[in-house]
Formats: sequence, C-alpha cells, structure tokens
Amino acid sequence: MKTIIQAKGLWKELDGTKILKGIDVLVHEGEFVAIMGPSGSGKSTLLYNISGMDRVTKGEIIFNGEDLANLDDEKMSNIRLNKMGFIFQQSHLLKTLSIRDNIVLPGFKANSNTRENVNAFAEELMKRTGIDHIADHDVKKVSGGQLQRAAICRALINSPDIIFGDEPTGALNSASAKEIMDIINQVNVEGTTVMLVTHDTNVAARADRVIFLSDGNITDEIVLGKYEEKSLFERKNKMTQWLIKQEF
Amino acid sequence: MNINLKILKNDFKRNRAGNLALLLFMTLAAGLVVVATIVVTQLLTSMTGMYETAKPPHFLQMHKGDIYQEAIDEFNSNYDGVTAWQTVSMIDVYGDDLKVYGDSEFSLSESRLDIGLVKQNKEYDFLLDKERNIITVNKGEIGIPVILLDFYDINLGDTVELTNNGVTKEFIVTAFVHDAQMNSTLASSTRMLISDVDFEDLFGKVGEIEYLIEVYFTDKSMASDYQTAYQNEGLPQDGQAVTYTIIFMLSAFRDIVMALILILVSILLVMVALMCIKYTVMASLEEEISEIGTMKAIGLSFKDIRNLYLKKYKIMVTVGIIIGYILALILSNVFTDHISNTFGKQPISIFTISLPLATCVIVYVITNHYCRKILKKLKKVTVVDALVNGKGFGKKERVKDGLYKSKKMSVNLLLSMWETLHNLSGFVLVFLVMFIVSGIMIVPMNLLNTMKSKEFINYMGSSMNDILIEIESGENLNNKYEIIKKLLNEDTDIKEFKEFKRVRVETINSEDEWMNLHVDSGYKAGNELKYIDGRAPSEENEIAISKLNADALGKSNGDSIILKFNDLQMNFIISGIYQDVTSGGYTAKSIYNFAGIEAKKYQFTVNFNDDVDVKEKASEWNDKLGGGYDIEPMEEFINQTLGGVSRQLQVTTIAVVLIGILLAAFIVVLFMKLRLAKDVAQIAAMKAIGFTNYDVRKQYLCKIGLVSIVGIFIGTFISNILGESIVSVTLDMMGIGISRITFIINPLIAFIILPLILLAVVIGMTWISTREIREYNIISLINE
Repeated sequence: MKTIIQAKGLWKELDGTKILKGIDVLVHEGEFVAIMGPSGSGKSTLLYNISGMDRVTKGEIIFNGEDLANLDDEKMSNIRLNKMGFIFQQSHLLKTLSIRDNIVLPGFKANSNTRENVNAFAEELMKRTGIDHIADHDVKKVSGGQLQRAAICRALINSPDIIFGDEPTGALNSASAKEIMDIINQVNVEGTTVMLVTHDTNVAARADRVIFLSDGNITDEIVLGKYEEKSLFERKNKMTQWLIKQEF
Repeated sequence: MNINLKILKNDFKRNRAGNLALLLFMTLAAGLVVVATIVVTQLLTSMTGMYETAKPPHFLQMHKGDIYQEAIDEFNSNYDGVTAWQTVSMIDVYGDDLKVYGDSEFSLSESRLDIGLVKQNKEYDFLLDKERNIITVNKGEIGIPVILLDFYDINLGDTVELTNNGVTKEFIVTAFVHDAQMNSTLASSTRMLISDVDFEDLFGKVGEIEYLIEVYFTDKSMASDYQTAYQNEGLPQDGQAVTYTIIFMLSAFRDIVMALILILVSILLVMVALMCIKYTVMASLEEEISEIGTMKAIGLSFKDIRNLYLKKYKIMVTVGIIIGYILALILSNVFTDHISNTFGKQPISIFTISLPLATCVIVYVITNHYCRKILKKLKKVTVVDALVNGKGFGKKERVKDGLYKSKKMSVNLLLSMWETLHNLSGFVLVFLVMFIVSGIMIVPMNLLNTMKSKEFINYMGSSMNDILIEIESGENLNNKYEIIKKLLNEDTDIKEFKEFKRVRVETINSEDEWMNLHVDSGYKAGNELKYIDGRAPSEENEIAISKLNADALGKSNGDSIILKFNDLQMNFIISGIYQDVTSGGYTAKSIYNFAGIEAKKYQFTVNFNDDVDVKEKASEWNDKLGGGYDIEPMEEFINQTLGGVSRQLQVTTIAVVLIGILLAAFIVVLFMKLRLAKDVAQIAAMKAIGFTNYDVRKQYLCKIGLVSIVGIFIGTFISNILGESIVSVTLDMMGIGISRITFIINPLIAFIILPLILLAVVIGMTWISTREIREYNIISLINE
C-alpha cells in the first residue's frame, strides 16, 4: 500500500516544554487512523504538525513525497487547499458567508475546476450530507451538526487526498456525532485517507488503526481493520480492553 | 492604589492598542481645538490690545492737495458724536526713491504699496513697536513697517537712503513699526516713521504731501453716516476713505482665514475622534462581553458596570485633554507668530488662559456625554446573550447567499467585495474618516488655489488683464489722463485697452436717506466680474452694484434706483450684483458716460499682444511717465496684495494636509489593529483551508481600499461643493464684499494628486498593518 504520510523523529517544543518527543508515524493511502490519548498527551499537536498547520521543532514529514517542514507559506497553503481537508471541533466556517458559499470558496480558490463544476459538486456533497435544504442559510442560524456537515463538504470540495479531523464530533450530541462519523466513514470507503484525534471510543472504533499517545510518545497502537457497522460493538469491546491496558 | 486606577492599569496592559488610540485621539482633538481657540483669542485680544494703545481712527479720509483745516474743524465741531479729530501729514515717496543697504543692496521699487514718511503723533494713531510701546525715533533714524519684511530682508541697523527731488538723506533702521491702520498688504499704503526734525526738514522738499484726516466718534458705527455727510459737505476728499470696520477686517483677514481653517479642521477632528472613541469602546465591550455577562450574573447593576467603564474613559479623556492642552500651548506659537508680529506681543490675560481651558471643558463634557450614550448599550445585553448565546453589541452582520454565482472574479477580490458590501457598517469608520479627511485636505487646498489664482482678481472688482493703470484724484488728473491715453493709443504692443472713469453720484439708501455712490463708468464696465445675481450693464440706463451697496440700498437685481448728479435725477435699472473687496466693497459699474461730472479717478486696463513682456513694459512706462501714475502688472498686484494671505494660507494648508495624512494613516493602523483582533478566528479558518498570508493581506487591502476609494471619492466631490458654501458663508459674515466664492480648482491637485496620496497612505498603512498576519499561528487562533 502506498504511503501518504511518513513522519520521522518529530519533536515539538513550546515555551520550553517538550510536547512531542521524537515521534515516527506512517499513514497509508486510504487508511483511517485515529489518535487517542489523555489530555495534554500531544495528540492534537501531532495532528497539526503532521498536517503542516504547525511547524515542528525538529523532524521530517513527508507528504506525497514532499517534506512539509521545508515548504514556504505559498506551497504549504497550496497543499492544504488541494490535497488536504480539515474538520475541527468547531466548524470554523466564515461567518460572513452562507453555507453554500462557504463550501464553494476553497473550490473557487483552487481554480482547478470550472465554477459550474464546483457548484455542481457542492450541490452533490450537500445532498449527500443532508444539508442541501439549508444551502442559502446564515451559518449563525443552523445547528452544530449541520455546521459540521457543511465543514465536511468544505473539506471535500477539492477532493483531497487526506482529511484531518480534530475532535470533529466533540461538540455534538450522540445522534449528530453518529451521523457525522457515518459520513466520514463513507468518505474513507470512497478512497480518501482519514486521520483524526478523538477522546471518544465510539469514534476511534470506526478507524482501521488507533495510535495511543502518552506524554509526547506513541506508546502503542491497535489495528482494527476496515469498518463495518455490524461489527461496531465488537470493535468497541476490543478498543475498551486495549484502552484499559493503556491505563486510559 | 485606588481601585479605579488599578483597573485602568490592568486594562491598559491588556488592550494597549485600543487604549492608546483613545488617548491619542483625545490628545489630538483637544490639542487642535485649543490651538484654534488660542489663535482666535490671541487675534481678538491682540488686535483689541493694539487698537487700545495705537488708537486708529474710526474714519479716515486720505487727501492730496490743499487742505482746508478750518472747514474740517468747523464741520467736526458741529457734528454730533465726534469726540476728536486730527489731520496727519504724510510725505509720499516712491519705492524707487528708497534704497536699503544691509546684507544686500536693493530698492523698494517693486513694492506696490504707497510709502508715506510720517512723524509720531501726539495723542491718537500711534505707531508702535512689538511690545506695543509708542516708538520714538531720533534724528537720522527710521522705523520700517513690519509688513514690508514679508517681501524684503531688512534688519535693524541697515541704512535706508532716500533720494528724491535732488535731496539725499540717510536713515538707520532702528525700529519695526506695527501700524494699526495700515498693517495689511490688502491696504494700499504703508507708513515709515522718521523723527520730527527729519520730517520738518523734508516736508515740502521731497515727494508729495498727503493728508490723513482722522476722526473719532462716541460710537464707531457712526463712521458711514459721517462719511456721506463729510463728502456732501465738499470737504477735502481727494483720496480713499476708510472706516474702522474695514481697517479691522483688512488687518485681520489673513489670520481670520487661518483661524477659520483651524476651527473647521478641529471640528472635523473632534467628530473623527468621537467616531474612533465609539469604535474603540465598542471593540472593547465586544471583547469583554463574557466579563460583562459574568458581572451581570453576579448581581452588578447596569449603572455599576457602566460606571466602571465610564471612570476608565473619564480618566483617559482627562489625561488626553491635559496632554493636548500642553502640546497646544507649546505648538501654538507656530500659528500665532504672525499675529504677534503684526499686532505686537499680547500679555497673557485671564481671557487667553480661560478660553482655551473652557473649550477643553466643553470637549470633556461632549466626550463624557458621548461615552455615556455608547455605554447605554450595556443595559440591553442580558446574561444569557453575553454568556450563552455569545451575542455582541454591534449591529448584526447580514449574510447573503450568492457568492457562488460569480463566474470569473478572482476569489480574493470577490470575497473582499462580498464581505464589504454586505457588512458596510463594519467599515463605516474608515469610510467616514476618508470622507472627512478628504474634506480637511481639499477645502483649504481649493481656497489656497483660488486665492493664488489670477482669476481671484475678479473678486477684487477688477478683470484679469496684463496691466492696470490708475490715476487717483489730485492735481492735474485730467492732464495725466490725456498723457496716459496718448501713450496707450501710440503703443503698438497693445492688443486692447479699456478706460473707466470713477464718479461720485448720490442715491437713496434703505433708510430713505441720500448717500454717495461711486460709479466706475466706461465701455464694458463690469464685464468679467463675479456676479451673484444678474449680469454686467449693457444698456445706458443700467447699473451693476456691489454686494455691499446692494445691502446698503436694500435693492436687488431688477430693481430701479435713482441717481442724482449735476442737479439731475435719473432712473437706472440694476442689471446685476457683483462681488468686490476694493474701495471697502462699495462700488458700482455703468456704461453711461456721466459727462460733465468731475472724475475722481481713472482706471485703464491693458492687454498686450502675446509676445510682450508685461513686467518690462510696466517698468518702461514707469520710467517714461515718472511718478504720479500707478502702473502695475496685474500678476504683481495680486502677488503683493494677496501674497501674504496666500503664504499664510499655504503654511496652514500644508499643516492641514499633513495632519490629514497622519490622521488617515493613524486611523487605518488603529482600525486594522482592532479589526484583525476581531477577525482572528476567520483569518485562521481561511489559512487552514488554503489561503496564503498574501491572500489574506490582499483581501484586507481590497476591503480597506474599496471603502477608502468610495469615501475619498464622495469626500472629494462633497467638499468641492460644500466647501464653497462654507467659505462663502464665512466670507459673507465677514462683510468684506464677497458673499459667494467659486473655487478655482486645480483639478490635478484636487481630483488626482491629493486623493491618490491619501489612497496611497491608506493602502501603505493597511499593508504594513497586515504584516502581523504572517506571524499568526493557525492552531493557537483556532483553539482560542
């Protein structure tokens, strides 16, 4: 399987505190990787550094053959625009634009497709995620679950190679969280690599592989294999056992 | 430490940019208001102070020729309200006759002012030094009028050599004369002070004798009635007559113009300061919304919370005003230099200290009231709004769907335009500031350009020609007229010339009393003047009158007036009302020839063929004709009459333009600082989805640029329209004969250079301000 991300010896220091301590991570194309760990273990920092949103203090991050640590703002932005998609705990949509305009914006910016095609694809994504009826709505007037769906649509508009998520269901109720994770799993099934950080066993249990992080080091990982809804209960049990072992 | 000071100290540390901006605005606004007040106070007190000591006349009649003092004495003794009078002799010499030897050698031939040598008076109309002492000069010494220092480099100790009529005499400059009645380049004469001994020595031997018949009344306003009675009595009147009001206005004109600009700018600046205060206060309230919610939740009332903020603003406003006041006191010298140079040093009085202080109190009260009004918003916000819903105080942004419809526009431009157009209230500060700053810069610039322009002469009762020749009444007036006419007829360089005769007739004023009217008559009289209403006379029974005459007569365009002359009464129709500042603004124009009436003055306007050097021609004629003729190239005339005003206005305009630019730059920086702080999460989100730092910076550039262009564009046009009205109303109020001014605009400066400079500054400052975006860390911003 082709490697999409290869991080070697990642160190991150902030105000004298070592947050990541020489981490190595490998992510394959089409894989769904979850990162778990206690608060302050460095899991979000690892995600942001691997995705090039933050700069590592030391180490190498090879993404599709390019070392992200050495890229300038323009090249890095270009990769974020065309090859990566992001979903945060809060949707972080632009408050001055409607749901639809927020979704098409990166598509227009990338300029790799005609605007008609971008609009058509946005329409399709909204339909798939069930928000096409609120396309023209103000982002301040829709629910959290709907906002996260819009954020997923925005992340997918340029058909990225990988989607990064930082607690994407952290601010949602369980029903909404399930709907969001169903969409993410679907996207992954269609071939997009997914890497996300979570506290939630229900979310982690949907991943192919779960990495456990503690005090800036990867202490363990568990391979769950491709997700199927009928095996969720079994995967969650396996996860729980494993987490007990990690003293989580 | 006092709890309020502690809160203020902590707040200042936390929100340094906003608080510093607030402080600076108060300092600037208070400072400028104080400077304007100081200039006005200084001007009024200095002039009043100087006039108290110098005692200039309430009515002045200049006269050349025989003087009948007994007749004047008898008339004045019998005229009710006259308290005193005197006749001052003056030896008129030409600039050519005076040579100055100092650092360099030069003659005063270029001066258009008539120069009169006088001795110090005994009881009234004194010539003073800078300290307002009555100057005494000894034999061989001379006092030079300060207004000449604008044009000539004359220093104390220099030698002035007078050569006239075969007599040569040298004087040492020992004083600079501050002359209450002839201290403006807008006047036609100036006086040099010599000792009694030298005066007696020269009297009758050199130059021409001119008399100043000076009269004082119980009430200064009696001057104009007295003037009519005096002239009707046939008393000596071969020269200009001037009233106290005109003397005062002419003397103060230059400083009044500057004071007006300062007042205009400071009012606008206070408005800008108030807008910025609102913006800063609102930004700070938005930022502290959760603290406000918490305060409300733990039981603090609206008044408690408001007072907490109000105390902070009160302290900052007070500090700002104190700094502004001190700075203004230090810097006001730049603006009051001309006043103290012209009117002498004014000792500090309660008035000069208390008035600026009073304006500071007014600024404080206005600001305090305004802050209270803004803080009223605290009343409306609920705990739930503040803590749960996160609702702010500002206007709700309208979100419209439709950006996706765009076909081609670049994303940065599209996003900028979209966000700006749908959230105009967020940029209203930038728009209004650019609008106001354009006005601050363009109105004085247009006024300056108007006063510097050749066409301004039209407001001075003359048309624009190459050369103006005047022969005033006096001996041999008709003889001189014939000489000039012959000269003009024979000169082949002349393209055309026109001649006008000034006559005095009588007419009935608004109070049904007969009054004198000076009419300039001749072919095409009154053409090319600036008419408020109507046009120049084209028929023999038509007359055009000046604005001040129209007011005095209570007549308007189309009315008829009776003119009485040579025991004859004739009806004239008023064809137009024009603007004029010459002869005190009381003139009239007619093409009727008024044959048989004695001319008071002749005027010739001359235009040459294209290749003729006007200056050379004027000097050639001056040499040929000798003294007694006023031959002036019009450009030189404008330069010398209005040069001082223009120069002062130029300094003020440059200062105002610089203030405008600095203000625009400063406000953009402040705005961007507060805006970026507000937009931090949005910027992070944009960077996260693939926008580069450069993209985000370009978007701000587009937003600010777009709003600024609209603000500058509208500001430029409005100030070109409204500016004229403001200046016109002000000039009208001054009563100098101009009531409607049309700006002579230099389109390159007013419509291109100034707006472009302003825009460049705005864009430059926006670009610099957005540099910090490069340092933004997406993660820390997103997690904030």
